Order: sequence, then structure tokens, then C-alpha cells
Amino acid sequence: MLTCKEQVARSSDYLDGQLSFRQRLIQRHHLLFCPNCRRFLRQMRLMQATLRKMPEAPVADIDALAERLAAERKRNA
Amino acid sequence: MSAADDTQLLERLLAGEQKAYKELVGTYQSAMRAVAYAIVGQRHADEVVQDAWLSVVRNLAGFQGRSSLKTWLLTITANSAKSRYKQNRREVLLDDLPSPHGTIGDERFSSADGHWLVAPFAWHADTPEALLTEAELRECLEHTLLSLSELQGSVLTLRERQGLELEEICNLLDISLSNVRVLLHRARLKIFATVEHFEETGQC
Repeated sequence: MLTCKEQVARSSDYLDGQLSFRQRLIQRHHLLFCPNCRRFLRQMRLMQATLRKMPEAPVADIDALAERLAAERKRNA
Repeated sequence: MSAADDTQLLERLLAGEQKAYKELVGTYQSAMRAVAYAIVGQRHADEVVQDAWLSVVRNLAGFQGRSSLKTWLLTITANSAKSRYKQNRREVLLDDLPSPHGTIGDERFSSADGHWLVAPFAWHADTPEALLTEAELRECLEHTLLSLSELQGSVLTLRERQGLELEEICNLLDISLSNVRVLLHRARLKIFATVEHFEETGQC
């Protein structure tokens, strides 16, 4: 039986699909009986989704760069 | 972007349409910067991205569409970074820098049976939108992201924000899969600890 500590240690591999079939089953079995670990994993997923949705800093001087690249392309065409 | 979008954008880029370049830069520069940042560090990342853009434009006609445009751009960026700064290439640093709110460390678990000693705190918010409405939490997350090592921060960004597969990250950054897994996991636990701290105390 997996401990909570081990479940946490393998949680990223679980989320990234890096565990073998057998390891996944062991992980799922633990989650089935452990509300704390289920909460941990649910909140890990929420944290991932939050990072995905965080606004990115806009590119500084995007117009100048676009202009330079378009000009460079025309020179090379 | 789908392959069809790539093809359409490519035609406009080849025609030298400035608006198409703006779209290209807006869509992909963050990912390119994360790749450069991981390989050469913050000090040289901007130069590398500039180099990469010029190289992209000069080689545009040779893009065959065998990979996605994104993969092609990131490969060019990684190559610019590696060729320009080969001599300074640092070792893969797995050592952890301290993070503002720590991590989910061994002290959270019983040394006797490995069960939670301090169970994960239940967050109030249950969607990303709800979490991100708190301006202070957003700042707090940015702060924690900046506390990560250059490599760890980049790996997290490439995976979570840019959606790259682990194998793509390995190939771009020339690091092993096991190192990517370790870097990613440690970074996630630190971010988790920051959100947990904020949800528990209401403060950064």
C-alpha cells in the first residue's frame, strides 16, 4: 500500500502520464481510500489550470519587431 | 494553432505582411523566451530570441511543415542558444532554491507511517478564474515563479503555460527525462505551497 508521502512524490508523474499501468493502479487505489490525497491532487490540477490561465506579459515593442522582421523577409525574398 | 492555421500564416509571412509578423511574435515569443532562458539564463535570453527571429525569417522559405510551426520556432531558438553560448552551458542544476512559501516537504508527513500530519488545506476557490480574481494572489504567484531557478522556471512554463510534452522539453533543452520530471515536480510543489498559503492566510 502506497503512503500519502509516496503518493505526493509520484503525483506529477501521475498527472503527466509517466507511470506504468501497474503504478497507476496503485496510485488510484490509494486515492480511492484517501480523501486528503484526493484533495491534494484535485488542487494540483487546479494549480496547473491556474498557471495556464495566467496572463502573459505582452511583448515590448512588438510593432517595431514585426516591422523589422517583415523588412528582413522582403530583403531575403 | 492547427496545421491549417500554420500554413495560412506562413503564406502571409512569406509575402512579408507586417501584421502576420506581429501575430507570429505575439503568439510564440513567450515560449521562445522560456527556451532561451532555460539554456543561457536571463542575461542573454533576449539576445538569443532576437537571433532566433532573424534566423526564422531567413529560413522561412525552407520550413516544410514536417513539424508544427511552434516546434520549428522553438528548435531554432534552442539551436541559437546552444551555438552562441556553448562555452557557458551550465550543468543541469537540480538543487532547489528556497521559495517564498516553501514546498510540500517531508515535515508534512508522519515519519512513522507516511500519512499526512498537516493535511492539505481546502482552498476556497475551485476554478482558475476564481483564484485569479485575487490580484494579490496573481502577484504572489509571479513572485514565486521568479524565485525558481532559470531552468526550473522554464521547464514549468514550457509544460504548464505552453503545453509542451515532456519529451519535447528534453529535446529542446538537452536534459534527461528524469531531470525534467524532477524539475517539474519540485516547481509544482512550490507553486502549490504558495496557493495553499494564500488560501489559508489571505496574504502573500
